[in-house]
Amino acid sequence: MKETRLAIKILKTLTKDRLQYPGRLMVDTLTVISRCGILLLLYWYVYNLKGGLINGTSFVFVAWSIFFYFSFSTLRLRDIARQIMVDIQSGNVEVLFSKPVSYLSYRAWWQIGLGLYSFLVITAVAGLGLYLLIGLPFTMTLSLFLPTLILTFLFAGALSLLIYIAVGLLAFWIEDVNPVFWIVDKAIMILGGSYLPVALFPPLMYKMALYSPFGASQFVTHTVNESWASNWYQLIGIQIFWIIIISIVVYFMFEQAKKKVSVNGG
Amino acid sequence: MKANSIIVSGLTKKFTYKAKNASHGWIKNLFVPETKEIIAVDNISFSIKSGERVAFIGPNGAGKSTTIKMLTGILFPTAGTISVLGLDPTKDRKQLAYKIGTVFGQRSQLFPNLPLTDSLEFFGVMYDIPDEEIKVRIAELVKLFDLGDFIRQPVRKLSLGQRMRAEVAASLIHKPQIILLDEPTIGLDVVAKKALRDLLLKINKEEKTTIFLTSHDVGDIESLCDRTIINHGLVIKDIPTTELAKTFAYEKYIDLIAKNKFTEFPALPEGLRYLAKDKAKITVVANVNQMNLQDSLRQLLGLFEVEDLDVYNADLETVIRHIYERDSTGY
Repeated sequence: MKETRLAIKILKTLTKDRLQYPGRLMVDTLTVISRCGILLLLYWYVYNLKGGLINGTSFVFVAWSIFFYFSFSTLRLRDIARQIMVDIQSGNVEVLFSKPVSYLSYRAWWQIGLGLYSFLVITAVAGLGLYLLIGLPFTMTLSLFLPTLILTFLFAGALSLLIYIAVGLLAFWIEDVNPVFWIVDKAIMILGGSYLPVALFPPLMYKMALYSPFGASQFVTHTVNESWASNWYQLIGIQIFWIIIISIVVYFMFEQAKKKVSVNGG
Repeated sequence: MKANSIIVSGLTKKFTYKAKNASHGWIKNLFVPETKEIIAVDNISFSIKSGERVAFIGPNGAGKSTTIKMLTGILFPTAGTISVLGLDPTKDRKQLAYKIGTVFGQRSQLFPNLPLTDSLEFFGVMYDIPDEEIKVRIAELVKLFDLGDFIRQPVRKLSLGQRMRAEVAASLIHKPQIILLDEPTIGLDVVAKKALRDLLLKINKEEKTTIFLTSHDVGDIESLCDRTIINHGLVIKDIPTTELAKTFAYEKYIDLIAKNKFTEFPALPEGLRYLAKDKAKITVVANVNQMNLQDSLRQLLGLFEVEDLDVYNADLETVIRHIYERDSTGY
């Protein structure tokens, strides 16, 4: 109850904070729409050259898959790694450690709060625009689509946060986690289907995308696949498996990390 | 008799770090690095009673901040035991956080873009205070800390003095039994320092909050604390602040700036001694027990032709050194 109340307060407070800068939201929206839009224009051109179908998939499917990737990325959950690193390097971790909260869950809610407003606005605007321009793929009209999308989305959020928390916590051992962050982030981008939908991957990479935690953290992009109706529970099972494994890793890392806290001026 | 709020026994904290050895190759430095150890806090013991106002001072690097961070459960001790309000900070950090408040002078806990009232409400929720009580408590703090003029302003627009008042107010939202302050007046001007000290005295008096602070400012200690613990490496000295005041009150430092150049440095009368002699500037230490300040200045102005002068108290490091020198020489 207390955790829920605090989480809601964090979300409300940070949304209010974001509202102080409407210009920033506009820039963020334009940036995402431009990046996503350019990519979709290129795909639209390629699909037209190939007669409308590549590997049995249509442009509408690819567009929505990429849209889900970009929409999810606007939550900026990846930034939690750098935020933890900054806390550790600057010594700000001491302020949060002196409060009656779990540092990691506080940071996780904080990260969600920072991106939530942009995510909702950008997803609504861009999603509506895409729907009006190209319509919906068949899978998105199924009754199970929305509930399974929400479920996959929540698990993807949890898994992304856990992966990036693990990266951030490395700052307790190595001063600068940027090289590790870069590798993990690019692995997630590629295996998550940011620029090339997973359905177009060669077999080996497809398996990597399916069974690695990096790919599993972006399974929202799979929700438009034609196979989604038959294999959604398997993919959610993979997400749950990785959430459990990485939670255990993060727990032990954090227990060790707490003993390694050494802050400036201390 | 008042109960002990804080009991520290044999507290030690060692930090280890990897040190590059120039004579080793980079592979050896990478895979088998040498480690060095720093003893930040070395076997210290003290206790603090409920409602006391205690200054914890010492030279730079003596482990003052480290000690405060161990008391709050942020850092884990290497050895020794700590009991704060009957809790072990290393095991009961969250439980203890409900009973203590912390202020780290160089760090902010407030939301810079939002009005102060949002930060106060936020911390109220963090400390699990019901909404109605949060409102009442904020009203109390606004009155106590005189925050009314700027509570609706974004925190980033506050002056440093206003922000520090706000930081302390935020730390008191849950009515802590102890407030631990690490350099609370750092960077503040004289007026803001006085205002903050007065507020801390007020909460100690009205809310019976125990105050434990580290500071480099003699004024903080003199005006705020009734007891001073000096941490000087291995040795801990625990004295009433009035005794500390005697030490820094009897010596005044006088800087004399030459009108042209000082060419001669004549012997000084009893009660005055040179600390530094330079053609452009002389620093003289006046023992006001032997010669009062007015006479000291008259004597010096008779001896030297000066452009300007400055009179000030000893800094904290000097005061601490004096106390140790006095004790070791039996003076």
